[in-house]
Amino acid sequence: MNDTAVPMISVRGLGKSFGGHRVLQGIDLDVRRGEVLTLIGPSGSGKTTVLRCMNFLEAYDEGEVRIRGALLGYRRGPDGRLLPESERIVAEVREPVAMVFQQFNLWPHMTALGNVMAPLTLAKRMPPERAQKLAMAALARVGMADRAGQRPGSLSGGQQQRVGIARALAASPEVLLLDEPTSALDPELVDEVLEVIKSLSRDGMTMVMVTHEMSFAAEVSDRIVFMERGRLVAQGTPDSIVYRPQNERVRAFLQPWVRRSLAGRAEPASINPAP
Amino acid sequence: MNAIDMGVLLGLLPDFGTAALRTLALLAAAVAGGLLIGFIANLARELGPPLFARLYWVYTAVWRGVPFLVHLFIVYFGLPSAGLALSPFQAAALTLAVYSGAYFAEIFRACWRAIPAGQIEAARAAGLSRRQVFAVIQCPQALRAAVPLIANQAILVLKESALASVITYPELTMTAGRIVAVQFTYVEPYLLLALCYWLLAAAIARAGRLLARRTAIDAMVKK
Repeated sequence: MNDTAVPMISVRGLGKSFGGHRVLQGIDLDVRRGEVLTLIGPSGSGKTTVLRCMNFLEAYDEGEVRIRGALLGYRRGPDGRLLPESERIVAEVREPVAMVFQQFNLWPHMTALGNVMAPLTLAKRMPPERAQKLAMAALARVGMADRAGQRPGSLSGGQQQRVGIARALAASPEVLLLDEPTSALDPELVDEVLEVIKSLSRDGMTMVMVTHEMSFAAEVSDRIVFMERGRLVAQGTPDSIVYRPQNERVRAFLQPWVRRSLAGRAEPASINPAP
Repeated sequence: MNAIDMGVLLGLLPDFGTAALRTLALLAAAVAGGLLIGFIANLARELGPPLFARLYWVYTAVWRGVPFLVHLFIVYFGLPSAGLALSPFQAAALTLAVYSGAYFAEIFRACWRAIPAGQIEAARAAGLSRRQVFAVIQCPQALRAAVPLIANQAILVLKESALASVITYPELTMTAGRIVAVQFTYVEPYLLLALCYWLLAAAIARAGRLLARRTAIDAMVKK
């Protein structure tokens, strides 16, 4: 099969329940190579869960997730049922996928450099000199090379998140999952992180992102997916979802943002008022 | 009321010095053994198959649910009938090690659990194995957090060690009791006994504080 023909991530009929509560159902989604795809929707709509299923941090219980064609988290038994896959195989299949977390999730006892190097020396068993070179390059990429020796506790939130992005980038992933990367940041620290993500999108990095930064999502995304109550409700270009939403639910969801934007400076000037 | 007789007190010092060394030997053996047992128990619970988690629960429940003295009687008086006769020191050190091991295990478990789940998720997402997560992410942080709790538990072990006197290991408490029985002076031996325990406990607490300060992550940032 041609490499570019296979989606980076392919999600089919994805479903997930917590206890008796169904949080995802019937999600179909393909992430193409080089695409920036953003999931939006109200809290509890399942955006983050979809993202977490894409690297099996969350085990799904219906449908399937494939990374470059390989089934993630399970294998097919002789009767066609899904059986849990071994830890080692799961790690192998998810290898092209890296994740950036809302709460950064840096390891506080390691320096910034140590945080970025650890996946290389431990998961990839890279010699330390080579790992350090790549880690420093990744830190430079996010503008944090001069803070390499500092521990997370002495960095600002924005700096910590940039280290988090460097940690994800160091292993040269093919797709980056970003779970509300700026939601835990003070407003004045948001831009430095968004700048880094923008520059990654310019370089053609495949990304799947959950965010509440609508203007930003509209600016960097190739495609925006709107979710509600565990279902995929609408999807399309930023223009068709954010600026000219046809779907009633999408329009209702974006209303507060439109009002705020118009109150500031008439940023989304092309917005269609509801007929 | 008679004041404390300094002459009597000074005369007690050599015996108490020897006895204090015996208490220290017992304490060292028990804490070293207990830490080792507790760490291995926690390791097995974290990384082993589900059966190990159940064994862990049985071990900590049984050893924390029965008085130390009862365990000591079973080991010292009961094991000989199973063909295993231990000296008073061996019996006391072994029992105290296994007993405190249950508490140390719970300290480790609590400190392991206290590490934010997000850190573990980040490690798993980055491809680290469960073993690597244990050794590189959890160990360095959990052991640091455990230091003050370990010091506190060591003080409790010190005080439990007084019960070794019941099976005739001549540590501090037994030594004091013997002197009282022979000399019929109560105040000086028991006061000195209390002072010895208090000094040892204070030393352990201080060592714990120093070690905690030395190993704190914040301190390393400033270095």
